[in-house]
Amino acid sequence: MDTVVIQNVSKRLGGTQAVNNLTLSVQPGEVLGFLGTNGAGKTTTIKMLLGLLTPDAGVISVLGGDPAVAAVRSRIGYMPETATYYPYLNLHELLFFYGGLCGMPRAAIRSRAGILIERVGLGAAAGRLLRTYSKGMLQRAGIAQALLHDPDLLILDEPLTGLDPLARIHFRDLILELREQGKTVFFSSHELTEAELICDRVAILKQGELVVCGAMHAIAGDGGQNLERVFLNVLGSDAAKGVLA
Amino acid sequence: MKQWLLQVSALSKLSVLELYRRKDLAVVFLLAMIILLPLAFLAPFGVSGASRYVSELAMLLIWLFSIIIGLGVSVRLFPPEFESRTIYPLLAKPVGRGTVLFGKYLGALSASVSAVSVFYLAYAVLVGVRQGEWFAPVLFQAALLHVGFLIVITALTLLGSLVMTPSAALTLCALTAVGMLAFGQRLPSLAAAQTGPGRWVLLAIHWIAPHLEFFDVRQRLVHAWPCVEWRVCTAVLAYAVCYAGLCLALAGWAFRRKRL
Repeated sequence: MDTVVIQNVSKRLGGTQAVNNLTLSVQPGEVLGFLGTNGAGKTTTIKMLLGLLTPDAGVISVLGGDPAVAAVRSRIGYMPETATYYPYLNLHELLFFYGGLCGMPRAAIRSRAGILIERVGLGAAAGRLLRTYSKGMLQRAGIAQALLHDPDLLILDEPLTGLDPLARIHFRDLILELREQGKTVFFSSHELTEAELICDRVAILKQGELVVCGAMHAIAGDGGQNLERVFLNVLGSDAAKGVLA
Repeated sequence: MKQWLLQVSALSKLSVLELYRRKDLAVVFLLAMIILLPLAFLAPFGVSGASRYVSELAMLLIWLFSIIIGLGVSVRLFPPEFESRTIYPLLAKPVGRGTVLFGKYLGALSASVSAVSVFYLAYAVLVGVRQGEWFAPVLFQAALLHVGFLIVITALTLLGSLVMTPSAALTLCALTAVGMLAFGQRLPSLAAAQTGPGRWVLLAIHWIAPHLEFFDVRQRLVHAWPCVEWRVCTAVLAYAVCYAGLCLALAGWAFRRKRL
């Protein structure tokens, strides 16, 4: 059974057709890169996958259920695009807060938080208030909170924003490690080079419609094309402006 | 049930922790202490029997500060979540919107009640020093009814912050609190004296606005009158819980309809 099933899903926000008849699935243990320019409908799709928005048409199934149901969401880890967390908490307190929301016992939170804080390289800063964190540190805190309850599916919205090159390498290693553990990763990004290195498959969205979806080697490896070239060819000159911006 | 309690506890702890770390409660508390404590040792106008005026002034300040705290705390529960987008990772966790609302409300109420308890403690010390009376049942009742006031005002402000801008909610709730404390009891007689639409407006306010004057027993405290009958006190607290419940139900409806 596929971990994520999106079937003929459409969503209109205000006067804009944010997502139009999108059909996509993600298999267990797969890393899917969800690509597109700004306003392509990536974040709207992610919000529907989290049950935060209801599709106008079509069906969404995550881990075999409706993501609006709390039991389904307890198996999803989510990291938002803009990682601004509670500025008056430190990282320990933040993880205890999110762990409490997941219904984790304090001892379990303590042990898991300790491992994750070290894993994301924030051991020295874990006692500091989050308002003193840099953007990259907040991104890493975001990864820790997303992984806290050991989810089966990880949904990451622009996770590489603000990360320095070293942190990107660590992030890439972390995603590959999660894949080895059999976790499914669905991540949206503008970072085509990173997507190329991490993803098993990519799906490219243009104005709410899926224009390309396939295995990385099939769409980018053929004829010496890299993903950036495929992206430009598929999305045209408008996308080129978007990428350069 | 255990998971729900863990979630509510985590949410309310977050609200309390954030509010205390922001230090604005500490500022209000310090200000109150600076004003209240010297009153314990003053002899206003050189009149030895003027302690009643000192008590009245102290109670007025306690009510004023409690309005500032109750409103200030609850108006900031949700808008920053939307502005900083922390609402997304929050609702992506296995927690219902109703639980989020209730947990945050409990946090705001706990923070307000704890701050007001300290004010009442300071007032008790003030009265003890001036009058030698260290415990009065009427003081306990006044504090209890003040908690009832906070139960209503925090729920009302929370509702306001979900259906309008924070500044509009703050203004409207402050006007409601001050207006109802000052004129709530006189609304029916004021309405009876009016003709035309004014009468209906006053009657509508009388039926819709929370009767916050029910919770104000300052005069009994100041004039050392006996307690209100305890069954009346219980009924007033039940009214507070029902009114707050209605506000929270409406807030829950508004929160569910809010576009994310």
